[in-house]
Amino acid sequence: MAEIDFEGVTKVFGAGPPAVDGLTLHVNEGEFMVLVGPSGCGKTTALRMLAGLEEISSGTLRIGGVVVNNTLPKDRDVAMVFQNYALYPNMSVEKNIGFALKIRGDSKSEIKRKVDEAAAILHLEDYLERRPKALSGGQRQRVAMGRAIVRSPRAFLMDEPLSNLDAKLRVEMRLEIARIQRLLGVATVYVTHDQVEAMTMGDRVAVMRDGKLQQVDTPQDLYDRPANEFVAGFMGSPPMNLIRCRVRSGEDRVEVVFGDQVVELPWHYTSSHTLPPSGVDVVVGVRPEDVLVADASSTNTIKARVERREALGSEILVHLSHLDVTVGTEVATRDDARVSTLVAKMGPRSSVSVGDVLSVQISPEHAHFFDAVTGATLREN
Amino acid sequence: MSVMTTNAPRARRLTLRRRRQLAGFAFALPAIALVVGFIGVPIGQAVYYSFTQWDGLTSTWIGWSTWSQAFHNTDLWTALENNAKLLITVPFALGLPLLIAVLLHQRVAGWRIFRSIYFLPTAISWVVLGLVAERFFAYQGTLNSIIHFFGFAHTNTNMLGYESTALTALGITFIFTMIGTNTILFLTGLATLDPTLEEAARIDGAGRWRIFRSITLPHLSRFIQLAFVVTVIALFSALFSLIFVMTGGGPGYSTTTMEFLIYQTGFNQGDFGTAALYGLILFVLTAIVGIVQLRLIGSNE
Repeated sequence: MAEIDFEGVTKVFGAGPPAVDGLTLHVNEGEFMVLVGPSGCGKTTALRMLAGLEEISSGTLRIGGVVVNNTLPKDRDVAMVFQNYALYPNMSVEKNIGFALKIRGDSKSEIKRKVDEAAAILHLEDYLERRPKALSGGQRQRVAMGRAIVRSPRAFLMDEPLSNLDAKLRVEMRLEIARIQRLLGVATVYVTHDQVEAMTMGDRVAVMRDGKLQQVDTPQDLYDRPANEFVAGFMGSPPMNLIRCRVRSGEDRVEVVFGDQVVELPWHYTSSHTLPPSGVDVVVGVRPEDVLVADASSTNTIKARVERREALGSEILVHLSHLDVTVGTEVATRDDARVSTLVAKMGPRSSVSVGDVLSVQISPEHAHFFDAVTGATLREN
Repeated sequence: MSVMTTNAPRARRLTLRRRRQLAGFAFALPAIALVVGFIGVPIGQAVYYSFTQWDGLTSTWIGWSTWSQAFHNTDLWTALENNAKLLITVPFALGLPLLIAVLLHQRVAGWRIFRSIYFLPTAISWVVLGLVAERFFAYQGTLNSIIHFFGFAHTNTNMLGYESTALTALGITFIFTMIGTNTILFLTGLATLDPTLEEAARIDGAGRWRIFRSITLPHLSRFIQLAFVVTVIALFSALFSLIFVMTGGGPGYSTTTMEFLIYQTGFNQGDFGTAALYGLILFVLTAIVGIVQLRLIGSNE
C-alpha cells in the first residue's frame, strides 16, 4: 500500500501538444481515485506513465514517496487491469492469475493458496481450468481483476475495465470492483470516460481535458461546485444547461437577460460570486433538476415552449426552447441542437406535452455562474 | 419449357439437404477436376511407370523387379541418409528467422532496411543463390578471404571439394535461402500479437526472456508449425537447383538427395521406371511429414 504523487507530470508525443500537461495529483493510501474525461484527454496516458509503460517527459512521479520516473514496470509493484483484459490466451485462468506470483518465485503451494483466495473473492472457483477463450466477458473481467488482486500490489491501475461489458453487467461489476477495492484498501487509479462510473465509484474524481487537470474533488462536490464550465457540462446526465446571457445590475438588484426575458437573481449571489459589471456576458449553468415549472403566482419566470419530451419511466426530460437567446461560449463545445434548448428533469407524473408553453423558474439556490470567456466559475472561495 | 415442367416436380421431391449436397458437389467439380488432372493422374502414371522399363520412348512391363532392385541400391540409401542429415538444418532455418523477426519486431533502429535485406534472398532465384554460394565456399572464394582477413593466412577451406564437408556447405546455403521466407512469416505472426499482452506481462514482473517464452512463443506456435512444414518440404523437394549449381550431387554421392537422385536416375541413366519409383518414395516421405504436422496443428485448434 502506498500513496501516489504526480508532480507536474507531462507527456509529449513527437511534436504535438502535450498529451498530459503538468499533471499534479495526489492519491492517498487506500483511496479510489477516478480519472475521467472525454477521449483524448490524457487520462490513459497518465495511467500508463504510472504503470511505467510510457516514459515521463518531465515532472516527478512518486509511489510510496519514492521517485519512480525511471523504474521499470516490474519493479513498481503495481497491478493493472486493461480495457481488453489482456489475458494470456495460452494459459488457464489459474495460470493467468498466478503468473505474477510464479515470476516472483512464490512456492507452488503458496501460489495455489493465493489463487484460490482470489478466485473465491471473485467467484471464479469453477473456472480455474478454463482458457480465457472459453469465458464470457464478465468472467474474463473477473480474471483480469484476479490477476491484479492476487499480488497484493501497492496500487491498482484500471484502464476502462468495464467498457467492454453490457450495461447490466457493468452496473454489477461497478459495485464489485468498488467492494473489492474497499476490502483490500489499496490505492487505486481508475480511468474511465463514463461520468456515472466516476460518480459512483470514486472517493475522489479528477476531471481531465486536453491533458490538463480541471478539478479534483469528491463526486458530490464536483457536481455541486464545478470549477469551470467544462466540468459542469461533463458531470451529470443529462448535462447542466449552460446559457449565455447578459448581466444587468442596479443599486439593489442584479438581473440576467435571456434574450428579451429578464430574471432577477437573489441578492446573495452578489456576495458569493464575483459577477461581472452590468452589460457583460456570463454563462449561467442550471442543472435539469433545478429547472422548475412555476405556478401562477411566481415571479421571475421564463416563458418557454416544450419542444421534445423524453419519458424515461422514473422521470421525464423536457426540452424547452426559450425565446431569442444566444447561447454557448468558446469554452463549452456543444452541438447546436442541444444549445438551443433548456432541458428540465420532471417527475414521471408531470402532464406536459409537446407544444405547451410553460413558465419555468430556476431554482434560486442552485444557479452556477461562469466567466463567458475563460469558462471559470465566478464563485468565490 | 417441357423440360422444366417435367423436372420441376422431381426437384421438389429431393430434400433440401440433398439438394444442398448436390449444389456443393457441382461447385466443387472444377476444383476436383483440376486436382485429379494435375495431381491424381501424374501420380497414377508414376505408379504405372515404376512397374515398367521405360527409357523415355518405349516402356515394357517388368512387374515388381524395379521395386525389389531399388531397395538394394546403395545410392538410394545414401540419398535417404543425406536427406536425413539435412534435417539438422531445420532447427537453424527456423531458429535464426525467429531471432531476426523478434529483433525486427522490437523496431530496432533501421528495422525497415534490415527487413528488406533479410527478405532479399527470397526474391532471388535459387540458381543465382547457388552460384553465389559456390563462389563463397570455393577454394579462392569469399570464405577463405574472410579467414585470411582475420589473420589465419595459412588456413584454407574447400568445403564443396570434400565428401565430408560438401553436405554441410549445402545445408548452410539452404538455411540462408530459407531465412527470408520464415522471417516474414514470423513477423506476420508477431504483428498479430496483442501488444497489451506484453504490457500486462511486464507489469506482472516478467523480463524479456520470460515474455518471449510465456507470451510470444506460444502465440507463434502455429506460425512455427507452418514454417516447419514449408521448410521440410522445401528441403525435400526444392533443393535441386542449389545442388545442381553447387555440387552436381558430388563429390561422389555426398550431396545427392532423393530429389537429385531422381533426376540422375531418370535423365542421366535413362531409367525412368526407377526414377518414378524414387519419386513415389519421396512423395510418401513428404506426405508423412505434412500429415503428421497437420495432425499436430489440428490437435491444438
